[in-house]
Amino acid sequence: MSLLLLRLTIGFYSVGLLHSFLTIITRKKTLFRVALAGICVGFLCHLLAISMAWFETRHPPIDELQGVLSFFALMIVLAFLLAYARYRLDSLSVFVFPLAFILTLAANLTSEPSQPFPEILGSLWLYLHVPFIFLAYAAFFVAFASGLMYLIQENELKRRRPQAFYYRLPSLEVCDELGYRALSIGFPLLTLGLVAGVLWQAPWELDKKIIASFSTWIVYAVLIAYRLSEGLRGRRAAWMSILGFILILATFFGTRSQGSAHPFIQ
Amino acid sequence: MSLLLVGLSHKTAPVEIRERLHFPDSSLQEALQRLTSQSAIAESLILSTCNRTEVLAHSADAQRGVMLVRNFISDFHRQPERSLHPYLYDLTHSEVVRHVFRVASSLDSMVLGEPQILGQFKTAFSLARRIGSVGDALSPLIHRAFFVAKRVRSETAISSAAVSVSFAAVELARKIFDHLSGRTVLLMGAGKMSELAAKHLISQGITQLLVWNRTYRRAVEMARDLNGEAIPPEELFRHVERADILICSTGSPGFILTRSDGQRLIHLRKNRPVFIIDIAVPRDVDPEVNNLDNLFLYDIDDLQHVVDANLKQRLREAHVAEAIVREEVQSFIKQARGLDVAPAIVSLRRHWDAIRREELARNRKKLGALNEQQEAALEQLTRGMLNKILHGPISEIKSLGQDPAAEQKIAAIKRMLGLKH
Repeated sequence: MSLLLLRLTIGFYSVGLLHSFLTIITRKKTLFRVALAGICVGFLCHLLAISMAWFETRHPPIDELQGVLSFFALMIVLAFLLAYARYRLDSLSVFVFPLAFILTLAANLTSEPSQPFPEILGSLWLYLHVPFIFLAYAAFFVAFASGLMYLIQENELKRRRPQAFYYRLPSLEVCDELGYRALSIGFPLLTLGLVAGVLWQAPWELDKKIIASFSTWIVYAVLIAYRLSEGLRGRRAAWMSILGFILILATFFGTRSQGSAHPFIQ
Repeated sequence: MSLLLVGLSHKTAPVEIRERLHFPDSSLQEALQRLTSQSAIAESLILSTCNRTEVLAHSADAQRGVMLVRNFISDFHRQPERSLHPYLYDLTHSEVVRHVFRVASSLDSMVLGEPQILGQFKTAFSLARRIGSVGDALSPLIHRAFFVAKRVRSETAISSAAVSVSFAAVELARKIFDHLSGRTVLLMGAGKMSELAAKHLISQGITQLLVWNRTYRRAVEMARDLNGEAIPPEELFRHVERADILICSTGSPGFILTRSDGQRLIHLRKNRPVFIIDIAVPRDVDPEVNNLDNLFLYDIDDLQHVVDANLKQRLREAHVAEAIVREEVQSFIKQARGLDVAPAIVSLRRHWDAIRREELARNRKKLGALNEQQEAALEQLTRGMLNKILHGPISEIKSLGQDPAAEQKIAAIKRMLGLKH
């Protein structure tokens, strides 16, 4: 049942993908309302799918790759919907919808046989660690996307010859503010997620993923500290948000931990 | 019944002619009443702006209606009709639908996509409605035109980009700061140009204005006029960091703001962005300043480039808008015909059914007493005959839905079958 719902979700998200695709090709906002409706329905469907999976397996479905990818996609859509409700930023959809689609599709394709539930994972801390980390990742993705929009719009303004992006993208102020908001939501969540991870694993051994996670944490800590103390903003802040998210991707997909703590990245 | 439109616009007539045929607001009521008092004009609406005067009407006969409206325009303005001939255009049927949709969507405007026309159209419509010169025939068309205009505006960016230098500057400021309320403007140089620019920015929501000028007296005067704050000549650098937007228009022969000044400015502002508009010739600000982060410098040519790009953008959007209008014209005409055809069919059936009943009643006695089954058979027999007879004409009428000459053909069929209207 949950698998069926997940497939349905992919169907709804694909409308969003189509919107992003057409919008990039025609350089015009295309099908946005339909896509937004699709994403909203898809989100509910997705939420239901994850709840069903929880009900079916009797534990939160976030301890293998499939569940984690699907949860990540859900968090990203949630972050988009929140940002959209506040700023009416339809341009963000071009970044968010394809990622949500790809992650959900990947979750659906990697239907690896349900692994025996590793003993090390059966802890309350895990169930705090994973959601916090992925909520943070979703927020950082929004920061990444707004950084990208900032850089494109800044380039248009600096060149003084407006082209299609100038008309479609939001103002620098909004990109910057959204990026900052996303960071200031994402950073505490990342911190909590890492703390929960430490408590869950204690006594802990260093795996590559843990090292990479802490490096990411430091990058974001530096970024936020700079912003608060010296007013780092604009172009450089945008670049740092982008760098931070690349580090996150590296942490998530790049490090293959040998231990059993993050076994889903084999 | 058919639609017609007679009018002239900036595309067909120079301003000397347009002003002669303008209907001022005070005379609109009288004009509409006079127009609709003619029995051949069922409904009418007048749209009169500085760029166009158009009379939209609904009449039993399009050609006659056009003649009447043309006569009316020349009579009302006391202009010999012959002299107006080269400037007036007249449209009928689906051309009217297309034209009205294009006008409401600002595709026929002098400045493509300017938003005022829709408001003017709405005012004209509500006046005509109040007077009663517009009713069931024209209202659907006009409501649909408003809907199309809304669709064009939301689905294309035709009205979004600024097409004058001062609006382009405001628009750029919005692309940097998002909104202008609470922002501060510093005028460097208290000339005519900067005063105009400042007034424009104030009308767009700027709340704080600083004025700096080499001669302090002039700065004080202008600050008083614009409700701003004058800055003494030697204190410029103490105040410049307060400004989000700088408008430079001094008569200085060299740069007032160099690259290192720019660096200092950004540092003092803790990286909050600054938008510098340099409208001075020779320029006041070193163009190198634009290479600094968080600092955006536009001179007068750059603003003109933005305006040019915006105009091109509007033209591109106009193509999309024209496609929307085409689609809407088709669907409107289809719908209107669908509505037109239905009453013809109903009246035809009703007329013949009445004849059937009459004949049946007249001859019923001669048949004597009948049982229930026989009664039913009789009813079925007459009804069946009627249906078979009417089947041909009715399906012919139904098929006329897409025919441009549907109205005349339907009238002919009705006449043949004994219906007057």
